[in-house]
Amino acid sequence: MKITVIRSAVIDAPIDQVWAVLRDFNSHDRWHPAVARSRMENDVGGDVVGGVRQFSLTDGAELREQLLRHSDREYTFTSCILDSPLPLIDYVATVRLKPVTDGNQTFWDWRSQFRAPHNRAAELENLVGRQVFEAGFTGLRTFLAEQAALPRTPAPEEATAVFAAVGGEHLPSKAVVVAAFGGPEVMSLSDVTVSAPGPRQVRIRQTAIAVNYLDLKHRRGISAGFDLPATPGMEGVGEIIDVGEQVNGLFPGDRVAYLSRTPGAYADIRCIDADLCMLLPAGVSDIDASTLLKGVTAALLLSRVFRAAPGATILIQSVSGGMGHLLSQWAKSLDLTVIGTVSTAEKAKFSRDYGCDYPIVVTGDTPLAAEVMRITNGRGIDYWVHSSGAQGLDTAVACLSPCGHCAVIGDRDGQPIPLDVNVLKQRSLTVSAPVCFDYFNDRPYLQRLAHQLFAKIQSRMIIPAIQAFPLSRATEAHNRIESRQTMGAVVLTPGG
Amino acid sequence: MVKVYRSTVLNAPADRVWRDLRDFNGLANWHPSIVLSRIENDHPADKVGCVRNFQLKDGARIREKLLALSDYDYSCTSAILDSPMDLRDYIATLRLLPVTEGNRCFIEWSAEFECPPQKAAELAETFGGGVFQTGLDALKKRYGQP
Repeated sequence: MKITVIRSAVIDAPIDQVWAVLRDFNSHDRWHPAVARSRMENDVGGDVVGGVRQFSLTDGAELREQLLRHSDREYTFTSCILDSPLPLIDYVATVRLKPVTDGNQTFWDWRSQFRAPHNRAAELENLVGRQVFEAGFTGLRTFLAEQAALPRTPAPEEATAVFAAVGGEHLPSKAVVVAAFGGPEVMSLSDVTVSAPGPRQVRIRQTAIAVNYLDLKHRRGISAGFDLPATPGMEGVGEIIDVGEQVNGLFPGDRVAYLSRTPGAYADIRCIDADLCMLLPAGVSDIDASTLLKGVTAALLLSRVFRAAPGATILIQSVSGGMGHLLSQWAKSLDLTVIGTVSTAEKAKFSRDYGCDYPIVVTGDTPLAAEVMRITNGRGIDYWVHSSGAQGLDTAVACLSPCGHCAVIGDRDGQPIPLDVNVLKQRSLTVSAPVCFDYFNDRPYLQRLAHQLFAKIQSRMIIPAIQAFPLSRATEAHNRIESRQTMGAVVLTPGG
Repeated sequence: MVKVYRSTVLNAPADRVWRDLRDFNGLANWHPSIVLSRIENDHPADKVGCVRNFQLKDGARIREKLLALSDYDYSCTSAILDSPMDLRDYIATLRLLPVTEGNRCFIEWSAEFECPPQKAAELAETFGGGVFQTGLDALKKRYGQP
């Protein structure tokens, strides 16, 4: 049975003010009383035609709607329901605004057409007309009034409280705690309690936690920003248990990955700022996603730091390492020739499997410069990614081709590195010293890099090599890294 | 091209207002600036293609052709055939939309036309602020305040 529902109202605000809110297809959780939370799939904007928004109602129902048409000129958009627990079949709805020039108000026409089973037609017609459309008029009026009363501060949504309570107040968890600086043995697993997420936070049950070099430096007390007692770890992956107030766009049950400048990831359960979380696409496993920091650093090195042309040569130090093996695969996908340094023949074989064309086994007396020149037929390296600080930087600079670039990576707490700019001038060389977190303050940029990484993982253009240790064996994981026995990325898995 | 748009909310259901507005020959009944009107060739006023010939208070004569009439959409579209004004390709639409909340209606009156650039502002005001707004004000008065 075909049903048409039409409701219309006059809103006491200029059309541009009303449209500024309504034109965002994803805005309903801010003003519609029936919508608890809403978010766009694949992080597209609320004005992307074809975009899908996923939202839940205050009664817990989950729906998906797709934007079919959107016009700023006509002040209108049309959407259809893709998934709904109710039998709203072929449901298409249109919002259309018109200016009331006489009095500077806005006429709002909201209509939908759908089919429904005969025995539920009246009920659904009533539901759409009253609980969706009429309640929406009232909700938007309230929202605009609150907006006018509190400029710049969006009103907190009462609906968020519905979800904030899901996980209960306190949850028992385990966390790796460093009580005194030192070797891997200073880490111990402790029982802790994680309280409910605060405003703009989510509580996550973690499934994969990457180990990064910075964690080792924190543990040794040779890198700033780690005040004892503390838990190491700059990134994690897991499932959201519950969300705090004023969290938009994240649901309990979502799989997310995050990067944080504040350590604390080596734990079973933790609270983290919702803004730091990135949703994981379906085709990317939790464990692969735990290479986020290393992967986006690789992407950063190949985009904003230095963009090597296809066919150029890149040299990656420690190419079999966590970041190195991702960087070599990424460089390969950009048609670069990849040369890498490793410490053993086994690592050389491994790195060949992960995109490195010419692994060089470097031992104490390896003539690295001669080897590089032999491989490049005397042309030198266009882009050298240097991770050993002052050690060997002379060689790196000497091996660069004219106009070549050397990126000195690693954290900023290392030994002084002497650099003679006159040497650079001989061949127009450039040197950079990027620290990834400085770039990742640009949140949209980080998001873009993360999307690129996830897309490459999904398409198998990048295959992360991962060695997993249970969280309880974090000490062993650090030991293996410090004794240079690992290849690929090292990840801790809670609950194992 | 010059565009003119005026709209307001009337305190009566769209069906009620449409009874008055659908009469292409009824302009003189509700618009204060129009004194006389007739349909040429004795055609019915709801025959699409008919021509109304009307006179303004200032004596000016205008001929307009009915291009579209929709009881379904509550809308009426017409074009000026002859007028003393320096314009051409004038097409106007009068349309009602129900405001379900309060059982009222929204009315919009829009027009597009071509004219010499130096006349655009003056003519836009003649229609928008003059003809259209005067008509809408009269209708508001006719159906009363909420």
